[in-house]
Amino acid sequence: MLPGTVGHAWILLRKDLSAEWRTRERLSPMVFFVLLVLLVFNFSFELGGAALWEIGPGVLWSCFVFASLFGLQRTFVNETRNGCLDALLAAPVDRRSLYLAKMGGNVLFLLGVQVLTLPFFGLFFNLSPGPYLLPIAAIFVLGSACVASVGTLFAAMAGHSRLRELLLPLLLLPILLPALISCVAATGAVLASAAPGRAGTLWPEELTAHVAMLALFAMVFTTLALMLFDFVIEE
Amino acid sequence: MSAGHPPRYAGILGLATTVLMVAAVAAVFLYAPDDKNPQMGSAWPWLQRIFYFHVSAALSAGLAYFLVFLGSLLYLIRRRNQWDRFAGVSAELGVMFSLFVLVSGPLWAKPVWGVYWRWEPRLTTMLVTFTIYVAYLMVRSYGEPGERSQRFAAVFGIVAFANVPLVHFSVHMWSAAQQLHPPGIELGPAMSHTKYLCYAAFGCLFLHLMRLRLSQERLAARQRQLLRHAGPG
Repeated sequence: MLPGTVGHAWILLRKDLSAEWRTRERLSPMVFFVLLVLLVFNFSFELGGAALWEIGPGVLWSCFVFASLFGLQRTFVNETRNGCLDALLAAPVDRRSLYLAKMGGNVLFLLGVQVLTLPFFGLFFNLSPGPYLLPIAAIFVLGSACVASVGTLFAAMAGHSRLRELLLPLLLLPILLPALISCVAATGAVLASAAPGRAGTLWPEELTAHVAMLALFAMVFTTLALMLFDFVIEE
Repeated sequence: MSAGHPPRYAGILGLATTVLMVAAVAAVFLYAPDDKNPQMGSAWPWLQRIFYFHVSAALSAGLAYFLVFLGSLLYLIRRRNQWDRFAGVSAELGVMFSLFVLVSGPLWAKPVWGVYWRWEPRLTTMLVTFTIYVAYLMVRSYGEPGERSQRFAAVFGIVAFANVPLVHFSVHMWSAAQQLHPPGIELGPAMSHTKYLCYAAFGCLFLHLMRLRLSQERLAARQRQLLRHAGPG
């Protein structure tokens, strides 16, 4: 990849971030949505109880995945106004920079949502902050990269379907399942070793396989999306 | 080959499918012996016979998913409508054969395991793969008709195929503790013959259905083309 492509991606990403900073069109609704889903789960499963250590990681990632569907829909929405997308495509730059910028933006949005909502999970799950947050952070970064890698590609496709917003979850959820399995299992492993009364290690043994799986997923689909993005976006 | 004139081998293929399928059913119920393997449910020795159809359908589904990938790839390279139709028809066959696997499996599992379904690696992988290709068919059926939808379908067809090994590994990591699906079982000569006869029957069925659906799709495309030329009204 040429440094030029990354440079152009950086310009586009900065534009998206400053637009988001002024409007907060994506982050605020996503954070509020996570809170609402958390409430729904609480009334469905009584999260404060003993079952928390079993279902907590699943609840966490279900919230994030549903919120990400919500946020990914908006990936290209701002570009469709005033024909911005056509202008971007007409610009003499590698189109992969557009994918990289949007994918990077989605990773940052998802991480933002996770960081902003983590205190609520801690509060409702009665978790105190501790060193276990370090492996959790690594899982969040990799998980967000997995969701954004395929999510950005499909978001570019979903806008043109008759189903519109409905199509994205239908495409994304089945493809995302391997990543979701590893996210939940890895988070569960970390929380299990951080559980009160258990002097577990910071990096439980089974974590490595799941983290490797997430890294593999993110790499495979980012590479594939970079190769295929041109076919999705061409007019 | 021109639309509307089925090639000469079409009739032979249909005939071969019928003969082989009848022979396969007869072999499964009359020729193949009862199974004594306890893992296959020795309390119901006749029950193992579902295996012949189950495995043939699973192989057909796997082949179909590979053909979706191949058609998608060739479409993106060559941009010929025939490859798009090829990928779409393969996905239909894959979903159909997967459904057969997902129905015949629980029918066998209920007496042997006591339950229809267990979240066991092979079952889960099959189910997830099935949902991925149903999603592929959704991309096809809900896109605006035209070249763009074909491109989207091809992109999804490639992503879907790349995902299958990842689904396999992650599902095995997730539930490695409960490998309940019978592994490859020992087959006597008569059972082996029956198995290969079933493979041949399903192979012919696959080709026959593929040919039928492809010629239907070709005619439908031709009709759309003629209507476009005729103009409105």
